Amino acid sequence: MYKWYALKRILRGVFMFALIMFIMSLLFNQVSEQTQRTQIFEQVKQESMRLKDVKPEYIETWRTNRTDQLIKLYRLDRPYMERVLFRAVNTITFNLGDSTLIKSSKGDKKVIVILLEALPKTMILFTSAALVQMLIGVTLGLKKAQKPGKRLDRTTSFITMIVFGMPTWWLAMMLILLFVYVFKLFPSGGVNSIPTPEGIMFVLDRLWHMALPMITLILLGFWGLSFVVRNIVLSVLQEDYIMSARARGIPENKVLFGHTMRSAAPPLVTIIILSLLGSISGAIIFEGIFSWPGLGNLYWVAVQQNDIPVLMGDLAMTTGLYQGGLVFLDLIYGFLDPRIKVGGKA
Amino acid sequence: MSLKDVTYRFKEFWGDFKREKSGLIGLGILLLCIVVVIFEPLFLPYKDVNGNWRNITYWQDNSPSAPPAWVNLFTKLKSATTRQLDNPEITDEEDPEYGPVKTYSFTYNYKYDLPPLDVIMHAKGTGMIVALLEIERPDGNIVKLGQLYEENMEDSQIRYAVETDAKAMAFEFAQQYASYESIANSDSQSVKPTNVIFSQAAADMLEKRQSLKGEYVYRIKVPAFLLEDGSNHLDDLNLVLTGRVSGIMGTDTAKRDLFSGIIAGLKWALFIGLITSVISVLIGVMYGIISAYFGGFTDTAMSFVFELFVSIPVLPVLIVLSAIFKPSIWIIISSLIVFSWVGPVKTVRSMALQIKEETYVEAAKALGAGKWRIIFKHMAPLLLPYSFANMALSVPSTIVFEASLSLLGLGDPTIITWGQILHDAQGAGAALNGLWWWIVPPGLFIAVMGMTFAFLGFAMDKILHPKLRTR
Repeated sequence: MYKWYALKRILRGVFMFALIMFIMSLLFNQVSEQTQRTQIFEQVKQESMRLKDVKPEYIETWRTNRTDQLIKLYRLDRPYMERVLFRAVNTITFNLGDSTLIKSSKGDKKVIVILLEALPKTMILFTSAALVQMLIGVTLGLKKAQKPGKRLDRTTSFITMIVFGMPTWWLAMMLILLFVYVFKLFPSGGVNSIPTPEGIMFVLDRLWHMALPMITLILLGFWGLSFVVRNIVLSVLQEDYIMSARARGIPENKVLFGHTMRSAAPPLVTIIILSLLGSISGAIIFEGIFSWPGLGNLYWVAVQQNDIPVLMGDLAMTTGLYQGGLVFLDLIYGFLDPRIKVGGKA
Repeated sequence: MSLKDVTYRFKEFWGDFKREKSGLIGLGILLLCIVVVIFEPLFLPYKDVNGNWRNITYWQDNSPSAPPAWVNLFTKLKSATTRQLDNPEITDEEDPEYGPVKTYSFTYNYKYDLPPLDVIMHAKGTGMIVALLEIERPDGNIVKLGQLYEENMEDSQIRYAVETDAKAMAFEFAQQYASYESIANSDSQSVKPTNVIFSQAAADMLEKRQSLKGEYVYRIKVPAFLLEDGSNHLDDLNLVLTGRVSGIMGTDTAKRDLFSGIIAGLKWALFIGLITSVISVLIGVMYGIISAYFGGFTDTAMSFVFELFVSIPVLPVLIVLSAIFKPSIWIIISSLIVFSWVGPVKTVRSMALQIKEETYVEAAKALGAGKWRIIFKHMAPLLLPYSFANMALSVPSTIVFEASLSLLGLGDPTIITWGQILHDAQGAGAALNGLWWWIVPPGLFIAVMGMTFAFLGFAMDKILHPKLRTR
């Protein structure tokens, strides 16, 4: 049963991704084609310069032929809908072409290489921050739910409201001001020092660079999470079966983790993953502040250099990750919710 | 629902709301902000900041990267603050060089340890004007600043800045007193004129710079015969002393007064936040109701569109959109609405599914009420109050979205927003250079705005949700 549910959900995710990318291709068709035409023109110009010992007239005809050939190759001479479709298929299969300016660290201009270089750096930062956030958020939420309306619950809820609209990237700027400018404890940005140390020092150096971004993310991340965890757990704690469990003399911890958490788990997982996904999409700006060379920072660079192919590729990658997160969420949900897992009635 | 119903329900709501302390704080801050927005000109130190934010000449008299004026309270050496002197005293005098002159004099009481960065004279002139400029110091010495000579003017702006126009003359003055070595170590380009003018005349005046406190008189002497025939005018004189510290929030590297920027940005933050969230939540609520009420194929199709919009990561798409189309603020607001109406849909739909089965809806149907009548008369009034909390809670994220776009440099350049101020700060490396007054206030205001609406939203949420109000 779960197998079919999972398969259906994954296919649905892929379909959604394809549909979104198609809409994006439609939306940005004109500007993408413009960039591609300029790229073709540049390429032909460079190639024609390499031709030697030929007559000027020949170069002229060679150029027009070559341009036509490339335009045919990229299907720029086809009807509108076909061009859009072709571009959408290319994006969906991550066949993203070359960037206009940005290069990977090895000097490669392939967009996919640039993206794959940035991806792990984003993942390492956000998965580790997300784990810590989850840990603190869930623990604090449980503590709050246990004694609702008491001092801990009230103060933390108050802080949650205070930091509700605080931009992560602003806190990042503030922490840089404090810990880099005033106390000189952490580096201002980057993933590693230059020159990069080796062995165990490499790991320490990486951790040292990760410290400030992590602190920023965690400081703001867990408040909202703990608030939602509190509300969900609290509503479960008011159920009759919890009261009967307590009346039977089952230890409080067992009631909390065995009885409450089990039935609160599906909505909890939903909320946790959704809020983490939300934080990742907001962290695009945040990476730029720390010059952390991930996917978010790539947006900054691409916007500044007006590099359309990288921008589009980055968008495809982020949308893909987001979509993947949503699918993952539903898979876990299905696994935790017995009605779906064993194929009962939803 | 009649007006009486509305007032009754509002009174009931207000009775509950009064007991929420944080909600009242939020309401207070919001009202304060609205007052500031309405009486904006009263709060703006630079009245024409709207529209002149990117105009370099508008800000040319300010000092770059000056900390806020209240920093003086915490430092040992007090810095001169920015002052503008208007209405010069006009007297008729005899000048040894010019003969009879008309003298415009400004008196400045200098009581700081660190001198102003610049002394700038402004005037409006017509025809031909020749003027002798000088400063009389408290010790009786006179620093000759130089001569002003302008002709063929038609109400033209005259600007004479000591920092750029009187370097040589100030150096000459220093040469009379300073020791031989210190003069040999410097030249007219490296000497700062205001440092010389506001220091005690001594052999070490170029290095130590003991400040000379007291009354300084800035004189503009115009030969009397020039002004007699009426074709030559000199009007609107004022003197600006550019301080090392400036205003309530200091200035940025482009000499802009940050307090003016923040106040001018407030209306945009409020406007963007409120209009986007109100419209998008209304759309979302109606979407949810319609989807639930119609059911069947409509519901399936609408749920699919909803799911599609949920699957789009908002900020990345907005970034790419604005990077490519370079939109105005109106387009940014519209695209924010397009992507943020999804918020309340899910909850509203499930609530509407319940209401749909209520007996009074059935009764209305039996009495022959149309679909839209049921939706607008019986379902929307019940679900709208719930959406108010949602509106308040979606304001902060909207403000942050706009600020994020602006931070990337994708904002509308014709307006001032806090995000744009932070963009400039980030571009100039404010955090790494310690210009805290440039990054703390804009972000703090964004955060306070978010807090205000969070207070309001959470308080309303507590009252209005999840208990569905039934009659």
